Amino acid sequence: MRIIGLKDHEVDAALRSAGLGLSVSEARSIAESLGRDPTIPELFSYDTMWSEHCSYKSSRATLNEFLHTEGPNVVQGPEEDAGIVAIDDEWCVVIAHESHNHPSQILPNEGAATGIGGIVRDVNCMGAKVVATADPLRFGDPYGKDKNHVRWVAEGVVDGIWQYGNALGVPIIAGDVVFDDSFDSNCLVNVVAVGVVKRGEIIKSRAPAGAGEKGYDVIVVGKPTDSSGFGGVTFASEELREEDEEANRGAIQIPDPFLKNVLFKANEALFQLTRQEGIVIGFKDLGGGGFTCASSEMGASAGYGMDLDLDLLHKASEDLPPEVVACAETQERFMLICPPELTPRALKIYNEDWDLPNVYEGARASVVGKVTTDGRYVTRYRGEVTCNVSIQHLTGGIRYDREERPRVVELEEPEISAPEDLTEILLKILGSPNVSSREHIYRYYDTEVQGNTVIRPGEADAGLIAPVRDEKFGIALSVDSNPFYGRISPYWAGATAVAEAMRNVAAVGAYPATLTDCLNFGNPEKPEAFWEFRECVRGLADAAKALWLKGYEETPVPIVSGNVSFYNESPDGAVDPSPIIACVGLIDDVRDAVTMELKRAGDSVYLIGPRFDELGGSEYYRTVHGVTGKNVPIVRFELERNMIYAVIDSIAKKLVISAHDISNGGLGATAAEMALAGRSDLGLELDLDAAGSDLPADRLVFSESSGFLLECREGGEEELEELLKGYGLDIMKIGIVSSSPELVMTCKGRTVLLMDLSTAKKGWTAGLSEAMR
Amino acid sequence: MKIAVIQFPGTNCEHETLVAARSSGLSGELFRWNRPAEELSAFDGYIIPGGFSYQDRLRAGAIASKEPVMDALREEAERGKPIIGICNGFQILTESGLLPGLGGINVALASNVMVSKGEIVRRGFYCAWTTLRTETPARRCSGSFILNKGDLVSMPLAHAEGNLVTADEDLMERLNEEDQIVFRYCDEGGRVEREFPVNVNGSLESIAGICNPEGNVLGLMPHPERSSFAWQLPPTDSAKSAGDMTAPGPGRRIFESMKRYIEVMR
Repeated sequence: MRIIGLKDHEVDAALRSAGLGLSVSEARSIAESLGRDPTIPELFSYDTMWSEHCSYKSSRATLNEFLHTEGPNVVQGPEEDAGIVAIDDEWCVVIAHESHNHPSQILPNEGAATGIGGIVRDVNCMGAKVVATADPLRFGDPYGKDKNHVRWVAEGVVDGIWQYGNALGVPIIAGDVVFDDSFDSNCLVNVVAVGVVKRGEIIKSRAPAGAGEKGYDVIVVGKPTDSSGFGGVTFASEELREEDEEANRGAIQIPDPFLKNVLFKANEALFQLTRQEGIVIGFKDLGGGGFTCASSEMGASAGYGMDLDLDLLHKASEDLPPEVVACAETQERFMLICPPELTPRALKIYNEDWDLPNVYEGARASVVGKVTTDGRYVTRYRGEVTCNVSIQHLTGGIRYDREERPRVVELEEPEISAPEDLTEILLKILGSPNVSSREHIYRYYDTEVQGNTVIRPGEADAGLIAPVRDEKFGIALSVDSNPFYGRISPYWAGATAVAEAMRNVAAVGAYPATLTDCLNFGNPEKPEAFWEFRECVRGLADAAKALWLKGYEETPVPIVSGNVSFYNESPDGAVDPSPIIACVGLIDDVRDAVTMELKRAGDSVYLIGPRFDELGGSEYYRTVHGVTGKNVPIVRFELERNMIYAVIDSIAKKLVISAHDISNGGLGATAAEMALAGRSDLGLELDLDAAGSDLPADRLVFSESSGFLLECREGGEEELEELLKGYGLDIMKIGIVSSSPELVMTCKGRTVLLMDLSTAKKGWTAGLSEAMR
Repeated sequence: MKIAVIQFPGTNCEHETLVAARSSGLSGELFRWNRPAEELSAFDGYIIPGGFSYQDRLRAGAIASKEPVMDALREEAERGKPIIGICNGFQILTESGLLPGLGGINVALASNVMVSKGEIVRRGFYCAWTTLRTETPARRCSGSFILNKGDLVSMPLAHAEGNLVTADEDLMERLNEEDQIVFRYCDEGGRVEREFPVNVNGSLESIAGICNPEGNVLGLMPHPERSSFAWQLPPTDSAKSAGDMTAPGPGRRIFESMKRYIEVMR
């Protein structure tokens, strides 16, 4: 394509008519580096590799500035497809976290399914067995102006998740769903995948040492390449406009969990073979950016070049242009780099033992080229060289220094006179789309497959699995982020998301071992959106730093994986800042873990965490009073750390037999959920005066300041109180478990809440299905 | 006593099924569908585990039921060896005619339809713990060999197509008379109800599992392998934290039954 010698507007017109997202200055810098006009396939390769999605061109500097990605337990930081932390001397946990927002907005079912499909590949290609997934979801207002479309998206996304995840055979053990009108025309579908691998059996997604000198083979495995997903990463790096919807459909990939299931088994057979023979391979999934991204990154990260023949790649049809073959995002594919002596056996595993060509039309493993030492990225097609560029230049990407400017929002606290009775208010909150039981959704998910599940969705704040038979350790998983806090303060949205995700795993008795962040924001070319992004990252990094890895003072909980998703914006505006955090917790023995439902009448209940006047963005303000407010919950780092550690220790000492963190809906919702999660034959009697606060009863009950409610083992009160005091925490023995199915709260000698649990259960279980119907 | 756990393309419960079978004292291995079928005769029993064989193309279980390995299994079944089909394995057994084993294909496992108070309240995939009531006396069937009539066994289910239906008007009467209905869905107290959530998928007569007339072939929709260890139980079950990591869960009795059946029959 001609660039040199053309005027800017001519270059721009040529780029747009070719369907490229590159800017004029980017195209010129490519031509300059090549010393000639680039070919169309070369431009598409750069378009892919320099997209925001692949290159982090706007975000990289901020991430490097704030995030702590190292730690004593880190085995693999964020450079690879997934991060890895140690569980013990032998086993490691692998985690990856991504977004699939734009595809899910346009084609909810396929978009969400391919989101899972991509993230499980990222974990599997590290040599790991994928043992769990989680799905944080954000949809628009189900009762707002776009309610029909919002519900269509929500239903399609949930269907896509279960249809893919269940067939694949990986349990979905965690997730959350938040409805908020800022997502009306741009939903968020994040996906988290977790795997386990032995420390000595980790496979890197790069060409192994010696691959260039010895001419290692490059092999593509899986589905035949077609045109699906062509332009996917560019589509992810632009704002959503309704008029582009038709054109964008082609950029969405097509999922196939069945083929993925067979591929995973064949991969495992390959991994076993290489372990037995001590052969080092490189293995990577073909995800965003397709063949070009995988092959160039595998070569570049090892300092090698690549010489690849697109004619040898198995394709769904023979009439695809070279740029489509190179950059399409056909799902269910992997790339293997191995010494030539392994090649025949590797091909046999895929093409004969697991019989890919007969299991799925056109699927197979094909040798497509060699690793070279010349540092060039070369592709050939039909006898011509279609791409010949510096591999480091192609993968090095570019960096932008974006401008930031604080978003000015007018916020104020409402004037509310405390109502006499809080019962109706709590019932309303319990039935609201964001607080009601998530059962309507998680019953669609296979939470049990693999037989490792110890704690399921709905039973506690985090899911828990025992992923390795004959081992006792457990992996807890939770996700969190509150968009309403993000609306008020991006900084505190980042910090509270980290704190809550950690509280969630602590509430089952696991210690937070690592975090991932999927950062969902608007257009970073707009200074206010970029400021929100930076504020969130600063907040979450501060929290990770201040809450410390348990057992190591002054050591941040490491963030080993993540993703940045910009351009979550339509002409209606950007999404509320959404730094979605996943936390992996570890526990030595899964049988020591606790759940949230009340266990025994007569047990004492303790409140951890003083109540503050922090109702900005709360369910109470929004659902009951229709306002956002201003006083967003903040994280008091030392207090938060002490609360989290105290809860973990008290569960380990078997002093606490039920625990639930305080978040949306405040103390009121937390207490109700503990009573509703079990058989509903036990209730709670709480004396709010024990909270030692002079807040009015409504603020006390619905403030979303962080904390926990704990049920103490019979006779363990004294020891628990000692433990809490040791962490400098106030002792707030707030009530007892009662044998009558009702929730009672008294304040200054007066009953302020008396709620029948069977009535509450009806609204609480119906809230979500009504919002999604 | 060595059993084969059959692996079709799309099977996804084979590993935990093998682990559960081994926990009951059986030995065994995974058996890939395209291995020579004659190798199957070396095994004492067979489990077809859950999953989505061949992507549920056409109907769940339809493609797998036509594989040569199923012809070999039919021969082994005629020799009296035990076969247990779980979830998709049950679907494969009905598609192959091995269940209810009356010649031809007599029943289908159709899409779930959750009915409550006469209204459809939900459709599609559903994952939850359920309780099964044993409907046959001990020794009637390989997979319930050590379970007595009335025994309750809890385990999870997870499927979109477990709704047992038939076009044969007399079939239910025959299955009842011949003691081929092995498990029904019931509440925690053992009471069978026709409606959701107790009858979780709309099955005729709340059927969760059936056997062939000879009793050596059993199919059931719920997953005993996900309930073979105490730690797998829901938190409301007090047995959850009892014992060590090997302590048994109720589902193990299905595999123990199979083992006992093999011991007695050979």
